[in-house]
Amino acid sequence: MAAAEAIARRTLRDSRTRTLSFALLFLFGAAAQGATYRSAYPTLEDRLRLARSFGSNEAVRLLYGVPHDLLTVGGWMSWRLGAIPIFAGLWGVLAAVRALRAEEESGRMELVLANPVARGTVFRAALAGIAAGALIVWLGLFVGILAGRASAGGSAYLALAIMSPVPVFVGVGALACQLAPTRRMATTIGSGALVAALVLRMVADTSSAGWLRWLTPLGWAEELRPFTGAQPLVLLLPAAASVLLLVASAWLARRRDIGDGLLSARESAPPRLHLLSSPTALALRTLTGGVIAWLIGIAATAVLMGVVSNSVASGLSESVQRQLEKLGAAATSASGYLGFAFLFFVLALSLFACFQLGAMREEEADQRLETLLALPVRRARWFAERLLLIAGLAGTLALAAGVFAWAGAVSQGVDLSFGRMVEAGANCLPLTVLFLGLGALALALAPRAGPAIAYAIVGVAFLWETIGGVANAPRWTLDLSPFHHVGLVPAEPFQATGALVMVAIGAVAALAATWAFDRRDLVAG
Amino acid sequence: MPSAILTDGLTKRYGETLALDHLDLDVRPGEVYGYLGPNGAGKTTTIRLLLGLHTPTAGRAELFGIDAWRDPVAAHRHVAYVAGEPYLWPSLTSAETLEFLARVRGGTDVAYRDALVDRFQLDTSKKVRALSKGNRQKVQLIAAFAARPDLLILDEPTSGLDPLMEVAFRDTVHEAKDRGQSVFLSSHILSEVEALCDRVGILREGKLVEQGTLAELRHLSAQTVEVTFDGAAPPPPELPGVRAMKAGDNTLRFEVSGPVAPLITALADQPVVALQSREPSLEEIFLHHYGTANGHGGS
Repeated sequence: MAAAEAIARRTLRDSRTRTLSFALLFLFGAAAQGATYRSAYPTLEDRLRLARSFGSNEAVRLLYGVPHDLLTVGGWMSWRLGAIPIFAGLWGVLAAVRALRAEEESGRMELVLANPVARGTVFRAALAGIAAGALIVWLGLFVGILAGRASAGGSAYLALAIMSPVPVFVGVGALACQLAPTRRMATTIGSGALVAALVLRMVADTSSAGWLRWLTPLGWAEELRPFTGAQPLVLLLPAAASVLLLVASAWLARRRDIGDGLLSARESAPPRLHLLSSPTALALRTLTGGVIAWLIGIAATAVLMGVVSNSVASGLSESVQRQLEKLGAAATSASGYLGFAFLFFVLALSLFACFQLGAMREEEADQRLETLLALPVRRARWFAERLLLIAGLAGTLALAAGVFAWAGAVSQGVDLSFGRMVEAGANCLPLTVLFLGLGALALALAPRAGPAIAYAIVGVAFLWETIGGVANAPRWTLDLSPFHHVGLVPAEPFQATGALVMVAIGAVAALAATWAFDRRDLVAG
Repeated sequence: MPSAILTDGLTKRYGETLALDHLDLDVRPGEVYGYLGPNGAGKTTTIRLLLGLHTPTAGRAELFGIDAWRDPVAAHRHVAYVAGEPYLWPSLTSAETLEFLARVRGGTDVAYRDALVDRFQLDTSKKVRALSKGNRQKVQLIAAFAARPDLLILDEPTSGLDPLMEVAFRDTVHEAKDRGQSVFLSSHILSEVEALCDRVGILREGKLVEQGTLAELRHLSAQTVEVTFDGAAPPPPELPGVRAMKAGDNTLRFEVSGPVAPLITALADQPVVALQSREPSLEEIFLHHYGTANGHGGS
């Protein structure tokens, strides 16, 4: 029992950063939705107009699902938070893979199992740790919804509905951990299942095949119908599915060697000698797989936005326009919508930069960098080239966003200039460069905390922009967020001054970071 | 020709901890230098300073006359390094790793590398993530020796190797020495240092407490004399520089610093059956400095 408790605590502790980030993200996201609704649609008349315009718009259902009631805060939130179950599912996959497969891949699991403790106990204790984490995320969501002034019982149930895919995807993740011998492969299998569940829900919500919703955990979350005629019996579905998946995982776990998966990874390969000529070339080689995943994600989202842009713009009511204007967009056309929607890519690429800074830190932490810098490799050059590589990869992703959004829009007959959409993609870059430079400086000055600081800078700036815009904050405070200085291309002209200032600050920060990194000790672990 | 390694008052402080305290080293070209010390004595810190990965708090380190911190790239052209914890790129195979390290370093002897791959029996088609610690260490060793550098800096390079591979390692170090390369071998495997090194430095809590050839170190240390008597051992004679202890009913063991003659004289009228004298092993010298044996303190 003591062993199980220790393992459960360890599991909770290991994932504390991710758990707290998701909890806070959900909290602020939910709170912002409540505030948005109240300020943008204060009267019943506004809300009826909203229901008529958005409610029948199939394109928006792709991400948010089917709205059942847009006349109350609760109804609005249960619809607008329809994208959060996707992230909750992702949290479930990541938590399971971290607790089960990462422990085995690192060899720590062998250390644990060498003690007088059964495999089944370890498995259940890890699940208990994940469950405690899920409770924290649920709590964040609950408080966020409550802050939007919904009823306590309703808020609790909505938070529960949004979190209902979590146990299922923990089960999916646990099953993936039995199949895959590496963390990376287990994450890929789990996320693949999540994407399949999402696609199924999208089809169900936008076509006549609504029954498909009963086949996906994300659909069950919708069918729980919080605030709009709750169906709590539906909870039996995720409960049964997760029990089934977890029992199957435990059964498989007892029948395989520790450290191995049922699908074994290719351990040998003929040598492939491309991209081995320099540390930067090797970085490009090892990052390629991850970057392709980012590219697919961004291209798919961009196509979706392009497709949606037409119907969003044509079905847009006056009040929706007013809301979007408050957020800084004049969304009277497809290009207006895209100009606003591309802020999402600005955020995504900034996070991409942070993620890559994290990979740099990892190389330093596990001392691969020492092996590298013991060769005749200039330290400043390694650092600067890596930053340029990240900027280049971000540029590729940015252009892909523009091109694929253009393709999606044109496929729906929207009249949109290709050049303007390429410009819209490129417009995501200045802010990415700014955050990359500042993050690099954090990495150079505070190696261990660097990546977390980089994420925090992006997160605070973004929240400042989104919450401040809705809360009618004074203009000068909004100006503090660099997001406020991004021109909403293609709706607005490219803001050359703002872009230049951002690139200049980013470049100066990157230079300072290179200088500082060249002069500090490498920090392992 | 300048020294392969020359440090002058090299000091490193991490916050409150003094990790290295005024280290003066001079490793000559062609010399195999053993760097001994228990965990946490400052061996890896020394190596990080020698490689210019960490900046000295005071003093300086030079490799072949080039400042290790100011001009690491020029210094590293003379050096190959094997890390104690072999962190490599998990998605690359051994062959790809060797190729990468060779290309970045430049000037690898490919024929010798192939010979080393055979000698260390490395399966180069395996991905690094599937390799054991010993096999990852082999990858690093092969890459380092195949570069034919003027100086090899090895940080506990054999901690994961099996005895057969240990032999292969020793052969390879001998070959490097025969070619006039210098080796800086940080280790706590005493038999290995004893077998390979021309000179030894012993590090304790960041300070170099002893340095010299093995013969010199032995001279400084006590030698052991075991005396067996006919019947019960008499009470040991009280002599300066001689420490005695019982080693059996009829046997006394003496640790003698300095000349043995006074002890022989004192035992002259005793019924001595057998007398055995031997030089201290490196292990005994080492333990002498760390004071773990028999509870007596170090110097």
